[in-house]
Amino acid sequence: MTSEAIRNEWYPVALASQLGPEGRDTRLLGEPIRVDWAAQGRPRVRAADGREMATRLRYGHIWACPGTPSRELFDIPEADQPGRRLVDVGVVRVKCSPLRAVENFLDIAHFPFVHTDILGAEPHTEVGKYDVAIREEVDEVWATKVHFYQPQAAKSAAGGITTEYMYRVPAPTVSILYKTCPPRPGEWDVITLFVQPLEENLCEVWPWMALFDDETPMTDLIHFQQTIFLQDRSILENQLPRLLPLDPGMEIPTRADLTSVAYRRWLKRRGYTYGAQLVAA
Amino acid sequence: MWTPVALSRDVPPLVVLPVVAGGRELALWRSASGRIAAWADRCPHRGMRLSHGFVRGEALSCIYHGWSYGAAGNCLRIPAHPDLEPPETIRVAVHVAAEAGGLIWVAPSAPEAPPPDPGALQPLRSLTVEAGTAAVLSLAGLAGDTLARGHLAGVEVTVAVQPIGPARCALHVLTGAAGAAERIALSRELDALRRRAEAGEMAA
Repeated sequence: MTSEAIRNEWYPVALASQLGPEGRDTRLLGEPIRVDWAAQGRPRVRAADGREMATRLRYGHIWACPGTPSRELFDIPEADQPGRRLVDVGVVRVKCSPLRAVENFLDIAHFPFVHTDILGAEPHTEVGKYDVAIREEVDEVWATKVHFYQPQAAKSAAGGITTEYMYRVPAPTVSILYKTCPPRPGEWDVITLFVQPLEENLCEVWPWMALFDDETPMTDLIHFQQTIFLQDRSILENQLPRLLPLDPGMEIPTRADLTSVAYRRWLKRRGYTYGAQLVAA
Repeated sequence: MWTPVALSRDVPPLVVLPVVAGGRELALWRSASGRIAAWADRCPHRGMRLSHGFVRGEALSCIYHGWSYGAAGNCLRIPAHPDLEPPETIRVAVHVAAEAGGLIWVAPSAPEAPPPDPGALQPLRSLTVEAGTAAVLSLAGLAGDTLARGHLAGVEVTVAVQPIGPARCALHVLTGAAGAAERIALSRELDALRRRAEAGEMAA
């Protein structure tokens, strides 16, 4: 049985637009669950014993909390902003800790090597100083003033630009990225990674986007994000140890890894250990 | 204790690949100048397998963040911080690698004796078998342990045996036979041996 700190969080369990009347049998935190539609288009998520969980339908996905929600599902105000296209990217199953999937999403230093000629390219490898904080008032991890040179930052970008990013972790298995929006200076494109922990070493990842981009066909937007994430998967399935080490000793962070350091510290202090290991091997 | 992990011929310069020796997962790689090395298959930065990395010149780089490591396993460069001199403490665990008789051998630390030399033979091929070492050797009728010798398909062979797990091993096969027909027959016999061993057949 997992701890309350783990059970009282919100988790994505289905993409609403792909959940048919037959429902979806899946897993959450190592236990079987069933997701389907109850009356009046209300999503329903049930444990194996038939017990219904708290659910929400938000950001294109169905969310469930297996315990008692410690707080309301996090807010993404941009999701309701007129003029944005909301992109359901779909699901990718990854044989890794859900926490490693989130941590990788917070990392920019890998762009030139893993997303070569798309999100980064040598010799533009330097990660400048940026700000990281655990915002106590909202209990979220934030990284701001992150700058990086990108050959093709988005489907809508024509050529290399220096992109500015902000990263936000509003829940242990969710990461939200805000990035410079080429066609709309002053606004931020929103790209999220919603991670469903199936097991400590297995997850389903649901990227979702809210973009200012009226030009690019939806298929291309989805393909772009899938390409990026499949490149990430080749990393995530080959990291050792499989569980994310929350204690120092196993891995060597540098200044470019401060978001990861804050994320691990934040997980540890809230007792979030699903997909983590506490003892340095 | 030396373990054979590959035929020298199969690891040309600028190649890195994963191998198992003595129960440890290693990244086996050859530098541009031809130096062979076997390291712990894990970048100390974020735990990524170094066997997925890339070789440039005399250094092996991790595919995740491009951290590169020199001959002693010491970190040479962290691309995210190009002006930073990497601390001496950032090191990959290095094993000993050596070549003898067309084989690559590794050991956790320098053994007292050089690796066994099978003599002047030609490399044929390597193959992995999903069966234990002892079962495979007895089924093949080969005698010896690390370097086993005997005849297969009527051809004299020397087999360097790499235990990988309780039910997995790799055979690195050398032979004096130079004729194409003999070599093909031997290779087919090895395929047959693998099928029989994996089907659980025991030596009579």
